[in-house]
Amino acid sequence: MRTIDHRPLALAGGSFLAALCLAPEEAHAHLVQTGFGTFYDGVVHLFITPPDLLVAIGLGLLAGLCGAAASRGVAFALPAAWLAGELAGSIFPASFTLPWLTTVSFGAVGVLVAVNANLPRPLLVVLACGAGLFHGFVNGSTMVAAGTDRLGMIGASVSVFLVITLSSALVVSLRAHWAQIAVRVAGSWIAAIGLLMLGWLVRGQG
Amino acid sequence: MQERNGTKKIRRVPGRAAGTLFPAALALLLVPATVFAHQETGSITGIVSGLKHPVSGMDHILAMISVGLWGAQLGPPAVWVLPVAFPMVMAFGGMLGLMGISLPGIEIGIAVSAIVLGAMIVTESRPPLWIAATLVGFFAIFHGHAHGTELPAGSSGLLYSIGFVASTGTLHGVGIALGLVHAFRGGRLAVRAAGAVVSAAGVFFLARIFV
Amino acid sequence: MRLPGFALPAIALAVLLALGFSGVVHAHESQPGSLDIRQIAGDRYDVVWKAPIYYGRPHPARLELPASWQTVVEPTERTLPDSIVSRRVVAVGEKGVEGSIVSFPGLQGTITDVFVRLTRLDGTAMTAVVRPTSPNAVLRGERSWHTTAGEYIGLGFHHIMLGVDHLLFVLGLLLIVRGRMMLFKTVTSFTVAHSITLAIATLGYASAPLPPLNAAIALSILFLGPEIVRSWRGETSLTIRYPWIVAFLFGLLHGFGFASGLSTTGMPKAELPWALLFFNVGVELGQIGFVSLTLLLSRAFRVLAMRWPVWAERAPGYAVGVCGAYWTVQRTVMLFMSL
Repeated sequence: MRTIDHRPLALAGGSFLAALCLAPEEAHAHLVQTGFGTFYDGVVHLFITPPDLLVAIGLGLLAGLCGAAASRGVAFALPAAWLAGELAGSIFPASFTLPWLTTVSFGAVGVLVAVNANLPRPLLVVLACGAGLFHGFVNGSTMVAAGTDRLGMIGASVSVFLVITLSSALVVSLRAHWAQIAVRVAGSWIAAIGLLMLGWLVRGQG
Repeated sequence: MQERNGTKKIRRVPGRAAGTLFPAALALLLVPATVFAHQETGSITGIVSGLKHPVSGMDHILAMISVGLWGAQLGPPAVWVLPVAFPMVMAFGGMLGLMGISLPGIEIGIAVSAIVLGAMIVTESRPPLWIAATLVGFFAIFHGHAHGTELPAGSSGLLYSIGFVASTGTLHGVGIALGLVHAFRGGRLAVRAAGAVVSAAGVFFLARIFV
Repeated sequence: MRLPGFALPAIALAVLLALGFSGVVHAHESQPGSLDIRQIAGDRYDVVWKAPIYYGRPHPARLELPASWQTVVEPTERTLPDSIVSRRVVAVGEKGVEGSIVSFPGLQGTITDVFVRLTRLDGTAMTAVVRPTSPNAVLRGERSWHTTAGEYIGLGFHHIMLGVDHLLFVLGLLLIVRGRMMLFKTVTSFTVAHSITLAIATLGYASAPLPPLNAAIALSILFLGPEIVRSWRGETSLTIRYPWIVAFLFGLLHGFGFASGLSTTGMPKAELPWALLFFNVGVELGQIGFVSLTLLLSRAFRVLAMRWPVWAERAPGYAVGVCGAYWTVQRTVMLFMSL
């Protein structure tokens, strides 16, 4: 019989519930109303915002390719920077969404995954912080315009944490050579989406 | 890489178990994206039309599958260099098209790509990797230019691109999977025969342009 | 009985929490509202709007009937312990009720669902669940079963995902359970147990009054706290050896709690078993989602060899105990105040 290690288990469920417990019941106007309150609206926000989702998955894959230590750093740096960016964005909202920069950021991450860039850990963490601050800032600006509160922002960074942790752990756990290639192919897809998106932006149909 | 070996000892999860569980996890993560996507107007049409477009034209299907087939025939490292490089180069072509930079002879280029790729498979040619990659990349630009740019009105370019890239990549996967029969005795012949079919189709496409 | 070493800090923290954050952590016990529209004769309809008491105040939502409906008998209002019921008779005019829209302004800011039921003299009925996200309902003919199914699955999922108390209990169980087989047995017995009482309560064979029930559910969470500490210390107990027994017994309680989220007010009898089934499916989906996400995340932490400080490793266990203690105190006080 295989035993279950409790410490990670405890943290996993606990972190989710802790965020949930802080949930006040008042809901406001949201970007997307799930009907589940602003926390879940924030969680879902990541999944319906393709540039954000792609940058989070891409960084997870990249961190996984660079090993477990790098993944550990990124798994905390990205959500933390994301939350900081969101708060900054909600306090000093920008009226623009900067689609150029969000596209370039996820596209560049895709390229790094595709070429299997083995970045040193500090560089990777800095990259994650930059991407997190920037995407979070755009998130925060748009969220505050739609009336989402701080709790929604916590929800968004919780889901960033989920995506980055699960995707980097997936890559770290892969042993088969072909599976690591599949990761690089996924990176190439993300880069390709970024390139096409740049084209659409030039054409003004983003 | 050193770190990864280091952590191997700490982990108690067998790689196989984790390997089966995590794809399920990622699928789980992507479910909300599809469930809630309908809340964004026109998003479903964008993704669906992006997914459908690459499989709606025979020329594109055949070229993508033959990239996979040829890769499988060449074996590593080509079998993975081609599917990694192709989407990016194709997207570059698409970007040129979207920026309004026109390329001469797009249709001819696509037809020729089917002929050449088919011929490579039939003859089992093994050029150096960089030549194979350049050849495939050259054709990829034409495919991207011709197909990546046909956005239906009212849908988002980003979602269309996601669908388009995913669908094209899946076609590569199909090609590689078909190419796996290469390992079997009769399979080698079958793959070469498939190459011949692709070449013949390419000739037909070319003829259709001029006639 | 020796007080577990864990209990003192937990109670102290609970008191602090009660002082500091009394508004933050809500026990989740909002009742649904209901709107019953019954044909009396011709174009005359009897309209009964039951607005639940929302955290001690009249509910912020109003009922807005279509502008073409004429009020024939002015509304009368009755205040019940848990709701305010207003009743009026309207004339809907020649067009009938088909396609009319009733809306509930003010519902958006709440977590209340409203059950709408329309009954005609010919015996046909229509029901709908109005959610805060789209606070209106279109009155129309019979619906397909899958629309109803989707609605109740959503309701059940919604109920457990916002029901922090139920999820906390499940987390507590996960912390105690050792081994996959035991995990499976425990989760299954919790599911079976709460399905039994959910069915019994919904079908009206038994009911549990809300205040003592909520106190008992809180106590079930508090109960797990010391057990988690025992398992940290490597000690053993009945709960640690047979967690599925505890899961079953307390699961019976939680089932009554789930039943409070599925009000059968204004629901046609024929629809009841289906509503019950799909509501339960929704609850299980939420529960499976939470359990599998927790397990996956914990496996990811292990794969990435994450090291945590001791306080962080213990925090979730203490959270179970502290929240359990806090809710127990809070709900016991509410219980005595309601007497």
